[in-house]
Amino acid sequence: MDLNIRRKSTKLPLTGSLVETYPHDLQMYKIPPTEDITLQEFETLALERVTLLRSLATATTLKGLRVYSEEWTDYVIGELRTQGLKYYAKLCEKSSCATTEADLQARRKDHIAHFILRLAYCRTEELRRWFIARELELFKMRFATMRGEAVETFFKLNNLCYTNISDEEKSEIIHFLRESTPHPNIENMKFFKVKFFEVLDLVKMRKVYLSGGYAYIPHKDFISVLSAQYRTQLKQSLAVACHHLGEIEQDERLVSLLKGLHQSYSGNDYSDAKAVIPIETLDSLAVKSFPLCMRQLHDQLRVAHHLKHGGRLQYGLFLKGIGVTLEDSLRFWREEFTKIMELDKFEKQYAYNVRYNYGKEGSKRNYSPFSCLKIINNTVGPGDCHGCPYRHCDVGILKNRLQGYGFDAQAIGEIIDMTKKGHFQIACSKYFDAAHHCDLGLGINHPNQYFEESQKIAKGDIKVEVKKEPKKAPIKKEAVDELDEMDFDEAM
Amino acid sequence: MVGHYDENMLPEMLPIYYTRLFPQNIFCRWLTCGSYPQPLSNRELSFTLADDVYLRYLTICNQKELQTLLQKKCPHKLDIGAVYNTKPSIGRHDAVVLSRELVFDIDLTDYDEVRTCCQEAKVCEKCWKFMIIACEIIDRTLREDFGFQSILWVFSGRRGIHCWVSDYEARTLDSPGRGAVADYMCLIMGGDNQNKKVHLGSDNLHSSIRRALTIIDKYFEQLLQEQEFLSTSDRLDKMLKMIPDETLRSLVKKSLESMPEASLDRWNTFINVYENYCRESGNNVRKIRYLVEEIKIQYSYPRLDVNVTKGFNHLLKSPFSIHPKTGKVSVVFKPNNAKNMKLDEIPSIYSLLDDSSPDHVQHETNMRAAVKNFQEVVFSLEKSEAIRRKADANMSLEF
Repeated sequence: MDLNIRRKSTKLPLTGSLVETYPHDLQMYKIPPTEDITLQEFETLALERVTLLRSLATATTLKGLRVYSEEWTDYVIGELRTQGLKYYAKLCEKSSCATTEADLQARRKDHIAHFILRLAYCRTEELRRWFIARELELFKMRFATMRGEAVETFFKLNNLCYTNISDEEKSEIIHFLRESTPHPNIENMKFFKVKFFEVLDLVKMRKVYLSGGYAYIPHKDFISVLSAQYRTQLKQSLAVACHHLGEIEQDERLVSLLKGLHQSYSGNDYSDAKAVIPIETLDSLAVKSFPLCMRQLHDQLRVAHHLKHGGRLQYGLFLKGIGVTLEDSLRFWREEFTKIMELDKFEKQYAYNVRYNYGKEGSKRNYSPFSCLKIINNTVGPGDCHGCPYRHCDVGILKNRLQGYGFDAQAIGEIIDMTKKGHFQIACSKYFDAAHHCDLGLGINHPNQYFEESQKIAKGDIKVEVKKEPKKAPIKKEAVDELDEMDFDEAM
Repeated sequence: MVGHYDENMLPEMLPIYYTRLFPQNIFCRWLTCGSYPQPLSNRELSFTLADDVYLRYLTICNQKELQTLLQKKCPHKLDIGAVYNTKPSIGRHDAVVLSRELVFDIDLTDYDEVRTCCQEAKVCEKCWKFMIIACEIIDRTLREDFGFQSILWVFSGRRGIHCWVSDYEARTLDSPGRGAVADYMCLIMGGDNQNKKVHLGSDNLHSSIRRALTIIDKYFEQLLQEQEFLSTSDRLDKMLKMIPDETLRSLVKKSLESMPEASLDRWNTFINVYENYCRESGNNVRKIRYLVEEIKIQYSYPRLDVNVTKGFNHLLKSPFSIHPKTGKVSVVFKPNNAKNMKLDEIPSIYSLLDDSSPDHVQHETNMRAAVKNFQEVVFSLEKSEAIRRKADANMSLEF
């Protein structure tokens, strides 16, 4: 093929052999690649990396594995092998600084593919977030599998010089270090002092000792510093890439490919509804086709005639997504709220927010309804009723509610079981099956996806065989195929 | 006092208040310093006029402009926003937020599920104790753990307190950074669907939690007696629901229900039952290792409005703004003096402007003290900013 493409670069070109360019399995991707590659390689590399990133997302959302746990890493690496991506499996399994030809080629592919995806994923805020989250997971996973010697080389190669605190300083605060650092063997560890904002993830989780604005971390926790740096760098370079999209898109061959990647893997964000749903049907839809998170908000609104901000946002955007028009939405909220407040107060304090959700106020963005991940990771405070019921409900309360809905004991048992194990989305899928008397085992990623699936059944697009009969294979398969195209939104 | 206060008098009184009593000079200096290196004019101010008309993206260049603007618009409420890269009153659609004080908002309505003396907008000396605890815990965390120094504490005007951190590092902290700081301090999590909202796990307690608990312990017995957390069967029931271990729960239920209602006695009995239970059950109690601490925290640890802290450009009521509903002044107070604050000694616009009011003299004195507190924070902020600027200049000379 003679379709060589040349990529523009503002940085100095790399010189020297692959050994010099790629001394280590793990890279910070600071300098873009400058060599010529064929269009075909361009496409293959892009697709392979998307597969890699997608398997990270699948491990967390569909398999319900805890990020960075052993099972999680095993699943990802296993997935890479079955997909035939041996070089990625190798890079992930144990990062090293060997210099065989295979090592170097793998690093070269890793490097180029990362930069191609930057172009594909810099387009929108949503895509950027997804990409950054996955790349960070990948980075952390690879750092975690790295051996001691390779770690030191990595630090040296990236000019990361830190000096540990003196023994006297350490002995003065050893008591606090022991309390606040969740590692065994504090006595034998060297500790380093960094500013608290360099290790925000540790601060957030209260997993580090803070004093006077400094965080005291052992060597192990340096991954936090690194990934924070990597995140900042990635964020900036995606913004830069986005700025230069125009230049790249002059080449039509690339446009379709890059946009295609985006199309096939970002899925639907449900910000524009296909159907129109009249608000008079909401009461019956809440029972038939709403996921539990939305049903409980709907019920609460009907009972209390009020929802707090988080609830209004979660439920309001969902309603927009299923096809409630702005006018109807305003009427719906107004009718409920004015049962406990003056019309004037509603118009002044709440109508703005409804219009805001539809992109008619403020920054005028068309906001997308929340995905499951976002809802699960939401903060839920006193007085709030939003969030994911499997995550933010006491088991007893959840159980009572399900019994109140008239579900049979076995279904409730299955839902509660999944909830207790922390598989919130699988619990939701069980709820779906119980509510529709079927056994589809859908992967639920988005409340609006739940709604659409439910509507398909209601309209007879999907023929559901009653649960008692064991034959269900064809349906199941269809459902699984669909999963591949779904959106794994990132909630960071 | 609130009794004499009439909202309809605000349009007449406010212009006088803004001219004679509002500390315009020190207010501008505080904002200027907190906006550096951007000019004061890049800071968003927002006014709420009569009938809830909002004016956003107002700006001032100096004290004179502030005075003119206050006289012209006569805002019933004054809010402060972020610092932008340009003057937000002109190019606000392209404007980017560059910095903003790190703020905390604690409101007593978030304590409704635990406080028993008042609900919703009401507040009394008894539930004010929650604010005292919150102030002490947050203030010490900000100073000791994060090393912040320019911390301003403000009465919100009705039922809560605000905290503004003006240190350079705090002002320029990005959204994830603010989120992390807020989460670090947030121990109470969960909505109406969760009875037990505090989970400390079973490993070592973090130093910051230990410190918070020693602060709570100073007040807990008194709080227990004033709030009577465990007196009625409803309240007791709420507490029992926080005990995850069923055997222990029924043990506690049995012993507490059979005794008199006084909460302190009931609490002490609970501790006894708990300790006995732990001794007897040996290894099975890891899950409830910190149960007592968890319950104490759920009753009294600060409940932050996390979204206010996380937002980079959230508007927050200005110090010395008047609360339009109560007429009270959002006074600045010293964190170590919070426990001596009396709600009815907080000056209101009415008592300040009416010299025949019985509270006039006292409130005037308190207003002066509040302005002095404000000055002290601003002076020390100006000092540390000057030092930082000098250090920056030296740094750039060296390279």
